[in-house]
Amino acid sequence: MSPLAAVARTGGRIALSWLLAVAATFLLLRLMPGDPVTIFLANMGVGGGAETAAAYRAQWGLDQGLAAQFARWLAGFVRLDWGLSFETGRPIVEDFAHRVPWSAAIGFGGLGLAVAFGLSLGFFAALTPDGLADRISRAMAVAGQALPAFAVGLLLIWVFGVQLRWIAPFGGGPVERLLLPVLLVALFSTGSIARLVRAGFAEVRQSPYHRTALAKGLSRLAALWRHGRGAATLTLIAGLAPEMAWIVGGTAVAEIVFGVPGLSERVVQAVAHRDYGVLQAYVALIAFWVAVTLQGAGALRRALDPRAA
Amino acid sequence: MRRLWLLGLTALTALLLVIGLRGDPHAVDLANRLAVPSSSYLLGTDHLGRDLATRLAWGAVPSFTAVAIVLAAGLGLGTIAGGAMALGPSSIRGAVRWLAETALALPTLVIALVLSAGLGAGAVTVALALIVTSWAPYALTIAALFERIRGEQYWQASLALGSDLPPALRRHMLPNAWPALGALAGADAGRAVILVASLGFLGLSADTGRPEWGAMIHEYRLFLFSDPRLPLAPILACAATSLALHLGLDRTGG
Repeated sequence: MSPLAAVARTGGRIALSWLLAVAATFLLLRLMPGDPVTIFLANMGVGGGAETAAAYRAQWGLDQGLAAQFARWLAGFVRLDWGLSFETGRPIVEDFAHRVPWSAAIGFGGLGLAVAFGLSLGFFAALTPDGLADRISRAMAVAGQALPAFAVGLLLIWVFGVQLRWIAPFGGGPVERLLLPVLLVALFSTGSIARLVRAGFAEVRQSPYHRTALAKGLSRLAALWRHGRGAATLTLIAGLAPEMAWIVGGTAVAEIVFGVPGLSERVVQAVAHRDYGVLQAYVALIAFWVAVTLQGAGALRRALDPRAA
Repeated sequence: MRRLWLLGLTALTALLLVIGLRGDPHAVDLANRLAVPSSSYLLGTDHLGRDLATRLAWGAVPSFTAVAIVLAAGLGLGTIAGGAMALGPSSIRGAVRWLAETALALPTLVIALVLSAGLGAGAVTVALALIVTSWAPYALTIAALFERIRGEQYWQASLALGSDLPPALRRHMLPNAWPALGALAGADAGRAVILVASLGFLGLSADTGRPEWGAMIHEYRLFLFSDPRLPLAPILACAATSLALHLGLDRTGG
């Protein structure tokens, strides 16, 4: 397949899965009990009877069919008109514009750090099975699945903010405020990434070309790194999908625990107030991120690994 | 040896629960606020003089409800979908596989948030969110097992001898499936406990008045510095439960 066709195919898949996710959410939120106009009027403290409600309903297009409503929302969304928040009455897109950078910084920072830690830990775990790195990575993988992230976050505040007094958790500049959340997200992803990387390297250890490299006189470390890093990268890319999904939830928890004014804080309020417009916009953003990373990882794997094409 | 440990631990937990559930988690005793552990208050009292041990025991109820729903539905749905993937007609097979691979990438917490906007948070919402996101690994595992077992001689022999499909599945399929499914179930049961607590911590428990570990951690987090006992008790309960479910159901580690 030509590179252009591959890009087009990946783009098409991203668009298709995004549309499906967004449409499913739209349908789900419309099926939920509670009428948006009633909620909006109640939140705004606007009196007024059936006429006001009818006027809003017509203005938002809620008197049309579901498909027309969805088309209208979709057209608005791509033009960055995401509607008004039921809760604050302000445009959602303005609100989100201030918040997305915080969430993105935590998510990308955490993922980057986790990949860096996970790669090195996984490499040394594969180099010496049952060695220190192997045991640490196994413990971290179990802990990452079995410990509540928000509780660990509270403990981090307690250790770094109160006992050691290295940082002031809820104040200071952006770097200071992002340090602990990024660390928390990374901490929870490092274990499973390390296990993935270890599996990739372990496969190479069995291979004839690795034995050849050892026979040539390469040290164990050099042989495994030089001949294994490709395979380990492929295993990592293939297994990263659940991790991407986790990063979303982990970022949300980290924001709440450390009081970072990111997207999640807003979304939790939106859940409590049934602010469906905010929820819909949030899901659309998250679905976009998941679809892009998932399909992007698939495309990257096909590009790097001729066997997977 | 490990099995014995787990059995003992389970018995101990059950005993503590039975003792704790007899008390009233809402009984306020303002004369005994922030009391240290004693014989009348096993773990002491909180800032309103409520018995911490009793609240901890009641807080286990929503967690275990969610675990029960998730395991029953996840295993059931996963088995059905896995069977459809392996045995069904090719059109269904492809669709189910695509669904399963998509479901792997769904963020559980986001699903839970969207669901709790409409349904209100609680064990059912948590369970629904987990079921939506957790049936896929079961289905894919079971489908892969089916594929492998179909080539085995004992399977073909059993069918050739005239056994029906359901008993053959029970006899030959389940024993092979259990280690992999047990590991998955352990992880999911643990995740259910954590998700219930996370939603509670975010202030989205069904009923904020009812004791729930996450809500307790949220309420007590202000005492992290002055009375660490208060937030640490539900944190440890939550982590220990999740870890125990994880290790208890996961037989692959031996």
